[in-house]
Amino acid sequence: MGEYKTATLNGVFNALCDPTRRAILARLTDADARVTDIAGNFPISLNSISKHIRMLERAGLLRRSIVGRDHVLSLNAEPLSAAANWIEHYRRFWEGRLAALDAFVTKQDKPKRKRR
Amino acid sequence: MNAALAPAAVVVRRTIAASAERLFDAWLDPISLSQWMRPGTIHSTVAQVDARVGGSYEIVMQADSGPIVHTGVYRVVDRPKRLVFTWQSVHTGPGETLVTVDFVRVDKRTEVIITHEQLPESARPGHDKGWTSALERLQEAFT
Repeated sequence: MGEYKTATLNGVFNALCDPTRRAILARLTDADARVTDIAGNFPISLNSISKHIRMLERAGLLRRSIVGRDHVLSLNAEPLSAAANWIEHYRRFWEGRLAALDAFVTKQDKPKRKRR
Repeated sequence: MNAALAPAAVVVRRTIAASAERLFDAWLDPISLSQWMRPGTIHSTVAQVDARVGGSYEIVMQADSGPIVHTGVYRVVDRPKRLVFTWQSVHTGPGETLVTVDFVRVDKRTEVIITHEQLPESARPGHDKGWTSALERLQEAFT
């Protein structure tokens, strides 16, 4: 099971719960991009985009480097591993429970079944 | 990294040779829960259930290391189609998580679909579904 960094986990899930932020991440999987390039892809203000970017940075999902006058963003996938661990733990847990539920109800139902 | 970004909710499914009613009831009956809500490392499980919307449950699993307590509140109790409840334990952390169980008839059998998701801090009931499907779309975009 293991301990999960729940602060990281909450930050990541929070960051992912907004469509604009997901779209920003999707954009950055293709290539690094300047803040201004990203802003050009969305029909909202640069100010709004900046807020989304800051939230993604706080979640540790983005890295910002300053090249001359440009702020270049790149994706950082590391925090996603905590989320992936959580997912994997519960995927195994629920698969096991469904198998047990199957065994439980089919075993119980058998004696009741009438045969012709 | 695409694989890591993809799953923000757990979805597992299994088709079982039993009626939706039979399966639905097994989720809310404490005696039934004590039988099947017991992973291999657990010696015994004791469940208490107040099976109504707003009612709470407690499932205590006895492990070698001591009891593991799971608690939550039922949000949807729609027999035999859907059951939604919050789920908290030492393994989920301080944030709230939400489990949705759908029961879908397939001929004489029933497909049970479990969706378990972390709720963002700002989430309210009713937003959950959109969040999950949006993530599924994101998953598709990345694969």
